[in-house]
Amino acid sequence: MAQFKQWALQYVLSDDETAQSEIARKAAREIESSRASSAAVGNWAASVQQWMTPASADDEQMEDGDQGGSGDIIARAKVLRLIGFFGAMFSYDHKAGITASAKALRQLYRMKSFKPDMGSKILEDVCKIKEDFRLQTAATRLEIYELFLSLVQDPAVSSELKHKYGSSCGFVVDLLQLCQSERDPRNLMVWFKTLALLLRDYDPSPEVTEEIFKTFSAYFPISLRSSATPIGITAEDLKEAVRSCFAAHQRVAPHAFPFLIQKLDQGDAVTVAVKVDILKTIRACIELYDNPQASIVPHIEKIWNSLKYEVRNGEVKETIDATLDVLRAIARKLDGTKTQKLDVSLLKSYVDLVSRDCRDDLANPTYTKQAGLLLMTVISANIRAYVLYNASFIGTVRQNLRQPKSPAHTCDLLLLLNSLLKTRIELLKDRSCGHPDDEASLRTESRTHLDTLFHDVYLPIWTDKANESAPEARDVVKQAIQGLALLASQQILRPDGTLVLLCSRSVCSEICSLLTRTILRSLTLSPNDNNRADETTLEDEAVLALRTIVMSYTDGYDEIASRAMSEIRHRDWTNPSDYALRALQDLLSRLSFIGCSEIPSSIAAETPSRKRYSPVQHFITFTASLLDAFPLSSQTGSPRPNDSVEGPSANAHVISSLHAGVLWFLDACEAKYGRQAFPSSGSGENWVGEYEKLPEDWLLQLQRGDGASDVLLLPPLTDENPEVCRQFLKLSLFMVRSLYRSARSGPRAPWDERALIPLSQMAALVVRNLDEALQVSCNLAHEAFNFFGGSDSASAQPHSSELSLNLLTLGILQGLRPGALAGLYEPGGAAEKLMCNVTDFGSSPSRESDIRAAIGAILANKYKGGPSTSDPEVVVMRRVFDFWANWMKEATTSAPLDREAFHAHSTVAMNVLAGAAARQDKHVLNLVPALHQAAASQHLNGEIVAQSLGLVVKQNELLSPNNHAVVKRFYKQWAYSHLAKPLLQDAQPAAADSHTAARYRLAILSMVSNCPFAVYQDDLEPLIRLLVTALNNHAGLSEEVAWSQVAAALEILADILANEPDALKGHLRETIGGASRVYQECSRKIEAVPPVTRTRCRKLALQVLGAIPTRFEERYVLSYSPPTQRMLAVACGDPVRNVREVARKARASWAKVV
Amino acid sequence: MERDLDNANPTILSVSQLPRRSRKGAAPRQGPDSKCDSIVYPKHAWPYGSGLSSDEEDDYREEPMDEQDIYDLISTISDPEHPHTLGQLSVVNLPDIHLSPSPVELPGSDSLVTVLVELTPTINHCSLATVIGLAVRCRLEQTLPPNYRVDVRMKVGSHAQDDQVNKQLGDKERVAAALENDTLRRMVDKMLETCV
Repeated sequence: MAQFKQWALQYVLSDDETAQSEIARKAAREIESSRASSAAVGNWAASVQQWMTPASADDEQMEDGDQGGSGDIIARAKVLRLIGFFGAMFSYDHKAGITASAKALRQLYRMKSFKPDMGSKILEDVCKIKEDFRLQTAATRLEIYELFLSLVQDPAVSSELKHKYGSSCGFVVDLLQLCQSERDPRNLMVWFKTLALLLRDYDPSPEVTEEIFKTFSAYFPISLRSSATPIGITAEDLKEAVRSCFAAHQRVAPHAFPFLIQKLDQGDAVTVAVKVDILKTIRACIELYDNPQASIVPHIEKIWNSLKYEVRNGEVKETIDATLDVLRAIARKLDGTKTQKLDVSLLKSYVDLVSRDCRDDLANPTYTKQAGLLLMTVISANIRAYVLYNASFIGTVRQNLRQPKSPAHTCDLLLLLNSLLKTRIELLKDRSCGHPDDEASLRTESRTHLDTLFHDVYLPIWTDKANESAPEARDVVKQAIQGLALLASQQILRPDGTLVLLCSRSVCSEICSLLTRTILRSLTLSPNDNNRADETTLEDEAVLALRTIVMSYTDGYDEIASRAMSEIRHRDWTNPSDYALRALQDLLSRLSFIGCSEIPSSIAAETPSRKRYSPVQHFITFTASLLDAFPLSSQTGSPRPNDSVEGPSANAHVISSLHAGVLWFLDACEAKYGRQAFPSSGSGENWVGEYEKLPEDWLLQLQRGDGASDVLLLPPLTDENPEVCRQFLKLSLFMVRSLYRSARSGPRAPWDERALIPLSQMAALVVRNLDEALQVSCNLAHEAFNFFGGSDSASAQPHSSELSLNLLTLGILQGLRPGALAGLYEPGGAAEKLMCNVTDFGSSPSRESDIRAAIGAILANKYKGGPSTSDPEVVVMRRVFDFWANWMKEATTSAPLDREAFHAHSTVAMNVLAGAAARQDKHVLNLVPALHQAAASQHLNGEIVAQSLGLVVKQNELLSPNNHAVVKRFYKQWAYSHLAKPLLQDAQPAAADSHTAARYRLAILSMVSNCPFAVYQDDLEPLIRLLVTALNNHAGLSEEVAWSQVAAALEILADILANEPDALKGHLRETIGGASRVYQECSRKIEAVPPVTRTRCRKLALQVLGAIPTRFEERYVLSYSPPTQRMLAVACGDPVRNVREVARKARASWAKVV
Repeated sequence: MERDLDNANPTILSVSQLPRRSRKGAAPRQGPDSKCDSIVYPKHAWPYGSGLSSDEEDDYREEPMDEQDIYDLISTISDPEHPHTLGQLSVVNLPDIHLSPSPVELPGSDSLVTVLVELTPTINHCSLATVIGLAVRCRLEQTLPPNYRVDVRMKVGSHAQDDQVNKQLGDKERVAAALENDTLRRMVDKMLETCV
């Protein structure tokens, strides 16, 4: 052995050809002369093996070198000799030699001079290993399996084998014997592949076929033991591999079906997983076998008899589904392929077989569902079966519905009918994918049985059950509603190939009216009569059904809307009850959903509609009806500023619902056409200009369909055209315009804040979705102040309050893109005026300042230099900040304002600052010194400045990309480092000027509490000192402000505890003591501090306390445990429920500290 | 635990059937059309600026501890036998919780209040009645403030040996001793795991 190894090494190292052949000769001699030649050969093979790599080039060279030859191309004779040599290895038992030989043989097979007859020789040689094959390692066997597979699937070798052995396939028998007891998953995968190939590509005699079948079926059902070292093969892979053997060729059909069915019929012994495996295998066989007449038809009856019980009496969903898949596969197979139909009698006899067994079960409530499922599966498998059998199926169901055994029985039967209708829609949709005969048969389909469904089935059931309140009856009605929707959306294919609605206009209209009555219930009935007030399942079902119906029966929506609106108008909405308002809100919300949440499709009814189809027609109907009804009441909206926004109003509901309609339609457009369908390229159209030429009731005219100019403004579109989005926006903007005009100069009464707020938000939504070019060409920046007053704005002066007008302005500004605002930034222009507005506030300063602040923030943020101003930033923004700097200085020193007014104005100032800071405008920095000075000022107003500094970085929906705001990614970091960080030093408790320190502390904490942790992470040490001081020391601040500072400090502490608790390790005593003290002090009544602030402080203090034990090891907190636990026990009796809960959690977490 | 259950088939209430505090106003309707509601009918009537929301004010209303609070504390304790809570098994019932003086006539936040909880075992020979009583006692002592006195009893007639069980549960020394027992302690802790 050692000798061979040595030689092999020398051979590899040597460069000299003669030396190499000398070594080879020596080795050959040694083998020849050896007494036990088999051992010598084994040793030789082992010595060679270590130098062979699977990557073949070297391998080849060495092999042939070893035999004394050289060069790339090996002559045929040589290959033959080598095959003989390596093949002979299998006659001996040499563990070391087999792998190497198998590899060598695979290598030889790939060579150019390999001839097919050699393949058959290799097979013969390898099979000689016989029993010893089992003893080889799995890896060696894999090598041999791979060898077999490559030979068997080679076309040349395979034709040679076929020629040589004929149908007796002698080599196959040898192979089967050799490999019969394989268990390694990896090898099995290759082996199954080989077997499937033998069945598919060779033509084995029935005997051999049976042998092959026996070989793989012995593995069925296959499973895989879980192993600690996964090999990359799953049980599912193995199952698939065996399945592909079963389904390889129809010649195994006579064995496969009986075998599988027998396995299935073993009863309870079969687990669900195995059952599913069997069913999937049967399905694969059915789908893949050719010539169904011979291969499948003889077995159908047996399959059916065995399978029907799986559904009829089955309980497991997986097996039921798999069974139905099999039954469906049979029906599809018997129909034929896309190009060639089979004889119809095959399909007929199959469906008859199924119907015979199931028909009677439909009358038995226990089995109705299952029997129906079986029937449905078979009938709806393809168009041919459907056309042949749907009438008789519907007939049977109808018959049973006449004498139902119970409400549940009715429910099941309706469910069947509904699913047949649903399937019909699907089949009709896919009609062009199948054989041309299918479509032709649909054109001539009989429809009388469908026509009568409404009057014979659904209407009687509806009349019978609609007013019952038992839960069973309600389930029946629910099914009936779904059925009505499906019925009304059925289409039929006319002989000329066009699609029309199945039901006549009158039937569709009647269905709509039935369902509309359901959704009007809560409005028409009084609260006492409406005993289903909180049970809205049926209403919801009706809403969904109506939406489905109006998608195809488009006239339906006009009917629904007009009925609902007339119902609404009947009522007096001056002083509605809560119940009535709720009903109104629900009804309007449902109307918006039905009409606007999907884009209707253009399907004609048999008698054409008087209205031209348009994808936006429902949206027009909805908006026109609501606009027409607005205001529902002209007496609400009394000038009570303080409570006018409390509680809903009927008028506000109308506006809110319009808003909802826009939202729904927007979603529908996005879902159907994608976001890119919205106008994105500047077209320069001036929609607002076009509107001026239109009548005020343009939408109503459009709804009636009598406007002559419609076609020009809204050219007819199909529902597939993305231009729909543009039309929709155009209509929406018109609606916004009408409402703005009415709010500006119409009757004042309906326009209280409750109605103005949703209007403003809707305007923002519509404007936001226009692209910059449109916003510019419509001059919306101008309209934000003109309120679409048009050219006659001078004559019709707005008579709304300033607050109302500002709300309207805000709506438009909020949605504008920075580029569209450019015109406002001229020095002394509208933007500057609004940003520097310190005129007095009206009756509700806090509200007015909120709105002015919002406008200020938007204007300061969306600044982008425009063409009309030369370097305006320098002028406008600097002027704005200079103005505020001066104002701050004056208002905190020489001419101080009263507290409330100052607070209102400084809110505006801070928001302007916030808007500019969000885009990191460097002019903000000019204001910083003034701000710091004002905060430190001796006057009390300085406190307000310090406290409201947090507004600069506070989360603000207006400053979000959604509203086209310019927001730099790290602006909070930037603002913090310029506004708060410089103050840290002077704010420390040991600072010389304690008054300034207190104010600065307030400013810093107000800002930090609105920043994410990462912003102030680097300054934790000085910050924590401030936090501890804030908890304990209220000097220099008014009581109310001091406590809101405490709340901010606790929030920050909770944040630090969550992110970097270690920073607090040295301050635990102060933190725990401070938080406990805060809790105790806040439990007492403190004058001048609102109870809400006190409760917040208590809650936050307990949150901080509760988080501490979870963040630190016990040794750090142990000494504080007893007093804290005592305090928390008392806190469990806090008067506020919410706080008690937090206290209990904190107590539980401290209880673990022992 | 390899022993027969005392009561193998107790009646179980679903979570929705348990008594709960009714929130102010009806819950918002959840229909197919409600997707936009949060935008169109925002919670806060005034969506601009700062200021406390009415929601927060609602959450911070002062409400003294009442029977429902006590019920919420103990109804989530698990049964030692079944994977259900005491509330679901009707061992704890809202009408059997008594506070004296009642929350409305509470003179001050520090005044002494007695909580009496009467338990109804699922069957009248339940051997685990004492353990359940112990767990209820533990839970209340861990979560109620110090001015609350806890009294846990079996409801009259609900248990064959209610006198003895009541005596055990009422005796401070015996309760303390029971909790020294590791097995009992573990059992009680296990039962309290489901409390939130």
